[in-house]
Amino acid sequence: MFETARSRVQTWITAGAGSIAALFVAGLMGAFGALPAHAPPQLPLDVAVDAGRWRIKPIRAYVSHADVHGVPLKPGQKALVLEADLTNRTAQSDKAYFNVFRPEGLAVPEGPPMIALTRDSTLTPELHPGMTERMAYVWPLAGDAKIPAAIGFVVTAEIFKPRDNLYGAPGWFNPYRLGTVTLPVADVGTGS
Amino acid sequence: MRTRAIGNLLILVATVALSYGMQVSKPHYADLTAPIPVGGAMHDMVRARSFGVRLDKVVFARALKTSQFGRTKLLTTSGLWAVVTTSLTATSASATVADGTWQGPAGLRYRQTERLGYRQDMPPHAVDPGLERRGLFVFEVPADQIGGATLLVAARQFAPLDAQARISLDASLGDDGQPAEVLPQYDLDAPPGKT
Repeated sequence: MFETARSRVQTWITAGAGSIAALFVAGLMGAFGALPAHAPPQLPLDVAVDAGRWRIKPIRAYVSHADVHGVPLKPGQKALVLEADLTNRTAQSDKAYFNVFRPEGLAVPEGPPMIALTRDSTLTPELHPGMTERMAYVWPLAGDAKIPAAIGFVVTAEIFKPRDNLYGAPGWFNPYRLGTVTLPVADVGTGS
Repeated sequence: MRTRAIGNLLILVATVALSYGMQVSKPHYADLTAPIPVGGAMHDMVRARSFGVRLDKVVFARALKTSQFGRTKLLTTSGLWAVVTTSLTATSASATVADGTWQGPAGLRYRQTERLGYRQDMPPHAVDPGLERRGLFVFEVPADQIGGATLLVAARQFAPLDAQARISLDASLGDDGQPAEVLPQYDLDAPPGKT
């Protein structure tokens, strides 16, 4: 009697070990998933921040009602402009800065913004290693869009892999949300 | 029985060591498909597979003057402008030479500027066999990337296993490591030899 009970318990445990482990892991994952997510940190405005292949320093944000830095606007449109200093931290000339900033809580068009070099209004030039340039990110908006007094810009960075998983070549991958910069937004009227 | 187990263990260890050695010594994919360098010096004709290039002159300037759509533009930079004058020719059939890169002494790569727009004397250069033509490559470089720099010229930007001319530059530098002569302004539209 005793012998059969022991072997039965053993059988139950042996057969059910996988299910028990699965239930345990699923429960743990559910519990951790239900925890409040970490809010991305607020990035400082007064120092340059390393964001993947760029070192960034946002300067100012404003709303323009006329063409700004050579970026044409359609009639009735206005534009949200973010000026930032960008430095290429990599070893070669690059222009992968389209997704670095994105305004939060505003209906901006899908896809990358227009980006101009403020020096001479060249659109999306390559930036060279170690040479800091001021770039203007321009998002066109509907003329009647409501603009809050301060806008948070999500900063996206990437990580460097000395060898990627496909070719074993170095590159920048896995974009992640580094944090948010919040800037007051001035309305500069018709001038730029 | 004992010796057999030890022998098996030795074989296993040797296999692991050999496999690991092969893995770490395996050349990178990027190296396997890299351009094939053809070295040379300034003022020599460097013969790559489809074109030949001779570096004639390097001029440094703080600003570039150019006309775009009939308007004069003055382009400034946070570093220096390097205007590289080359003579280009094709080897056996008409070709294009589209890619120029300024490689600093530590290996930083500065691609040719995109701020000038389309110009006749800027890349891509159409070259023909037997006919030498003047071709410019214009770079924005920091002043500390000039001593010991190399000019890389290739037919295309991504040209795996194609030839890439690598010409070492010997710009005359002052005592402070800056180029000896920096023009305040370089006029790209002035006739050659008169800037």
